[in-house]
Amino acid sequence: MRRCRGVNASREALAEIGSNAGHVDVETIFLAHYERIARVIARVLRDPSRAEELAVEVFLKWSRNPAAQGENAQAWLYRVAVRAGLDELRRETRRTQRERVVRFFRHSPTPEDIRASKEDQEKVRAVLAAIQPRQAELLVLRSHGLSYDELAGALDLKPASIGTFLSRAEQTFRKEYIKRYGQQ
Amino acid sequence: MDNNRDQWVEERLAALRPDSEWLPDASRGLAQFRGHQRDRATHRTRRWGWLAAGAVVAALPLMAFPSTRAFAQRCVSACVGQSNWVRDLLVHNVSESVPSSVFVKAGNRRMAPDFVLDDASGKPVRLSEFRGKVVLLNFWATWCTPCAAEIPWFIEFQKAHQDAGFATLGVSLDEDGWSAVKPYIDGHKINYRIMVGNDNVSRLYDAVSLPTTLIIDKSGRIAATHVGIRSKSEYEADIKAVLDEK
Repeated sequence: MRRCRGVNASREALAEIGSNAGHVDVETIFLAHYERIARVIARVLRDPSRAEELAVEVFLKWSRNPAAQGENAQAWLYRVAVRAGLDELRRETRRTQRERVVRFFRHSPTPEDIRASKEDQEKVRAVLAAIQPRQAELLVLRSHGLSYDELAGALDLKPASIGTFLSRAEQTFRKEYIKRYGQQ
Repeated sequence: MDNNRDQWVEERLAALRPDSEWLPDASRGLAQFRGHQRDRATHRTRRWGWLAAGAVVAALPLMAFPSTRAFAQRCVSACVGQSNWVRDLLVHNVSESVPSSVFVKAGNRRMAPDFVLDDASGKPVRLSEFRGKVVLLNFWATWCTPCAAEIPWFIEFQKAHQDAGFATLGVSLDEDGWSAVKPYIDGHKINYRIMVGNDNVSRLYDAVSLPTTLIIDKSGRIAATHVGIRSKSEYEADIKAVLDEK
């Protein structure tokens, strides 16, 4: 319960900092948002340390982009973070596929590979890497707990149409998941 | 149905939740962030350094050609003439006690071609009449900004050295002639003789770029030819060197 209150309090504080970003130091914004941004990326990626590296890169991009600063800072950070995470996931997926092809000619899969491929996380990630990037972004941010308004801000959509987009994204996710792994 | 689908998808997406044990290390992230920003600033400075060095290296071979050299000189002259700050830096803070690099030793000088031109009062001025005096012969024009920067120095030289056998002569190459030059002489209180030149005279002295200033010794030979604006102290050093000659 205390944890929940902490998260809500932090959101309000972040919104306040975001709205005063013109007056707030870059490092203050970094410290206020870093943990949440790293966590969004870590949802998508296997390696948390890579998620942290990408989060730093997102903040570097943000600090160099004057248009991203100001009251839209939080929405911009979420958008770029989820894109960075999904781009990295797709790169990872392509790399893994190439390695699988190479391994097919070299040796059989290791028990570790089989275990990893069976993990739920890996299945979800594979589906996210396969569906439309925009839909994947929406699903990841929604699963991270963003409200409809926050989603609309982060993905530059109208708040009224978020429900429809989300419903379509879920439908696409479900179809792709079932196509790959069956109804489980 | 919709609710079922939401729940089914949400259950699967919930698998993405990062390990509850894992906490992003904000202080390490901030250190990396600062490091990258510093690297970028250094990289930017270094890149400008390389670009400047490249431009200098690329420009050096071009200086071998007289036309590009003259063009560069005009650019520098225009900058120096227009910016007081640069002029002060280059001109007033440089103390030259030795003659300039274009100063020719007494034995190697060639005769200054003679000419006759009318001054502002219509009186003819012949250069050879100034034999026995050191002459500063300045080719200029009213539209030439670097020339305007030099004129106060020449007024000063005239005042300081006229009793020691020195004369300044100005030859204006204005196409509009006296109608442009006379108001300028009055406006700037020029205390030396000004003539309006013509193509023949400018060709005699090869005065293609303005200002062109010659220091002529007491026997009518050219001791120095300065093309473009020079520092006041350079002119002064050349004048003194020629005045000191026997």
